[in-house]
Amino acid sequence: MIRTYRALLVAQIQAASQYRVQSILWMLFSVIRPVIFLAAWVAVANSQGGQIGAYDVRDFAAYYICLSLVSNLTMSWNAYDFEFEVRMGRLSPKLLRPLHPIHYSVVENLVWKLTTIIPLAIVLVFVAITFDARFRTTPMHLLLFVPSVLLAAALAFLSGWVLATLAFWTTRVHAVSTFWDRAAFIFAGQIAPLALLPGPLQTIALALPFGYILGVPAEILRGGVTIPTALQLMAGQVVWVVIFYFAFQRVWRVGVRQYSAVGA
Amino acid sequence: MTDAVVDVRELRKTFRVTEREEGLAATLRSFVKRHRKDVNAVAGITFRIGPGEVVGFLGPNGAGKTTTLKMLSGLLHPSAGEASVLGYVPWRRENAYLGRMTLLMGNRTQLVWDIPAADSFRVLQEIYRIPEGQFRSTVNELTELLELQELVHKPVRNLSLGERMKVEFAAGLIHSPSVAFLDEPTIGLDISMQVRIRRFVAEYNRRTGATVLLTSHYMDDVVALCKRVIVIHRGRLLYDGPLADLAERMAPYKIITATLHDGAASSTDLDAYGTVVSREEGRVTLRVDRQVAPERTGRLVNDLGSRLADISVEDPPIEEVIDRVFTSEQTTVSA
Ligand SMILES: Nc1ncnc2c1ncn2[C@@H]1O[C@H](COP(=O)(O)OP(=O)(O)OP(=O)(O)O)[C@@H](O)[C@H]1O
Ligand SMILES: [Mg+2]
Repeated sequence: MIRTYRALLVAQIQAASQYRVQSILWMLFSVIRPVIFLAAWVAVANSQGGQIGAYDVRDFAAYYICLSLVSNLTMSWNAYDFEFEVRMGRLSPKLLRPLHPIHYSVVENLVWKLTTIIPLAIVLVFVAITFDARFRTTPMHLLLFVPSVLLAAALAFLSGWVLATLAFWTTRVHAVSTFWDRAAFIFAGQIAPLALLPGPLQTIALALPFGYILGVPAEILRGGVTIPTALQLMAGQVVWVVIFYFAFQRVWRVGVRQYSAVGA
Repeated sequence: MTDAVVDVRELRKTFRVTEREEGLAATLRSFVKRHRKDVNAVAGITFRIGPGEVVGFLGPNGAGKTTTLKMLSGLLHPSAGEASVLGYVPWRRENAYLGRMTLLMGNRTQLVWDIPAADSFRVLQEIYRIPEGQFRSTVNELTELLELQELVHKPVRNLSLGERMKVEFAAGLIHSPSVAFLDEPTIGLDISMQVRIRRFVAEYNRRTGATVLLTSHYMDDVVALCKRVIVIHRGRLLYDGPLADLAERMAPYKIITATLHDGAASSTDLDAYGTVVSREEGRVTLRVDRQVAPERTGRLVNDLGSRLADISVEDPPIEEVIDRVFTSEQTTVSA
């Protein structure tokens, strides 16, 4: 399996190198949103004496920088690709080979992240300086961040595949994933750090998977939660990864029987 | 034939399609109740193929050939019936099965467009876990047979249709499958490329003993490669037997061609001998019932005497036979 991954990686890096510019532009585009939110929160905080809850202007900056990084590291766009592959019959050659189609997508995903991580880091350092971000990160936070972001990436990837697999039944996956993205917008920590959501919304957010993909690893990286809280949140991540792992297996097994292999 | 490589019993596939009606009223209605229609793409077919056979799978557009091949290669789950290929149930898609089978479609691509085929071959080597030595020799052999030398180093998107098809063939056979399903492998290729692909399939079958099930609308492919054909129409089996017998079973007539010395064929009345199909300068083509062909030929030779320069008795062209099969509603015939 390691050899297979290595071969796929080499081929994908080669293929992706032709789209490097597009990848980087897309990455830059994905940073715009958090920066807009950051600017908005900075404005609000300044109008209220520089502090909202436990966050001052410099905390907001650190939070949205961490969020951008996590967002990039956990990005998964399967639902969109996969629906296209199913509709156009592109899935067929992959299904005919003795390797689960998910692996091609893992590799594509990894390569995209490898291509964009360095330019993204440069942009984020620039933002950090501009907004004078303050990180409360301890070495222990950094240590926990690594497994936490990996869990988040796995969760994003698996939940993305569960959504993608719906393409076996419907051609409206797009609508479902738009709904999913809207929910993530509120509950993942994009519109505001989870800690600043009003009480009931916060409870809902912690019961849903979205926050475990973005907000949780971002706060761990920023040092915005205590170590015990971080561990607790990571336990939540593990639970969601397990749930989506089994959900994926089930949905895939049933769904692939529906596949109509369109296209001559 | 207990050692059949492909064993298909009463295989069926029904597609359920949603009918989209036009007009606003119909669209609104479709929110409440969708009109579904069943398409019986494959309506219960049974056949077996032995090891090393090259079988032609024929039928008009929409007969269900591709659907059958997709089921046999594991892409589609059948609605009913059974199949076993190399002892596996195809649609379980066990890795052991996938590693010994290939489905090649003339109008689909499975290579990555952005990289040269040689790099795709490397990926396939790892996916199929092909040992280095075997990989090298297979690639060399395919390169030689298909004349791929330069092609494999160009990005696939830069290849012509014919070149790409050759490379697709190599990619599809890189794991030396023992069963190959070929769906219109020569579609869209020029005559000389068709001939090369044909030769390649024959050679591949000879060298490896692989079992091949092939569809094509080009009868030349079938004549060149298949001793046996299976004919389906509207999802049902019409004929399964030697290609040579197809004409005899399906077209109960022969074609007699008589060439006359004096070039006066147009003035000679030959209607008494059979149905005149064509009449050119010095040459008359007649269609006669199969049973009476020898007798009519004898009479022609006798009656025309020395005016006759040449005479031949043949089965009708294969295209014509096939066309007859599809236009007439015949019941199942197997040889
Ligand atoms: N995914 C699908 N959904 C609905 N109907 C389908 C689907 N695939 C095939 N069909 C229908 O099933 C029938 C058989 O199609 P199939 O592609 O097997 O024919 P074929 O023999 O390969 O024809 P051709 O020679 O044109 O390639 C056709 O009527 C086709 O419209
Ligand atoms: Mg077809």
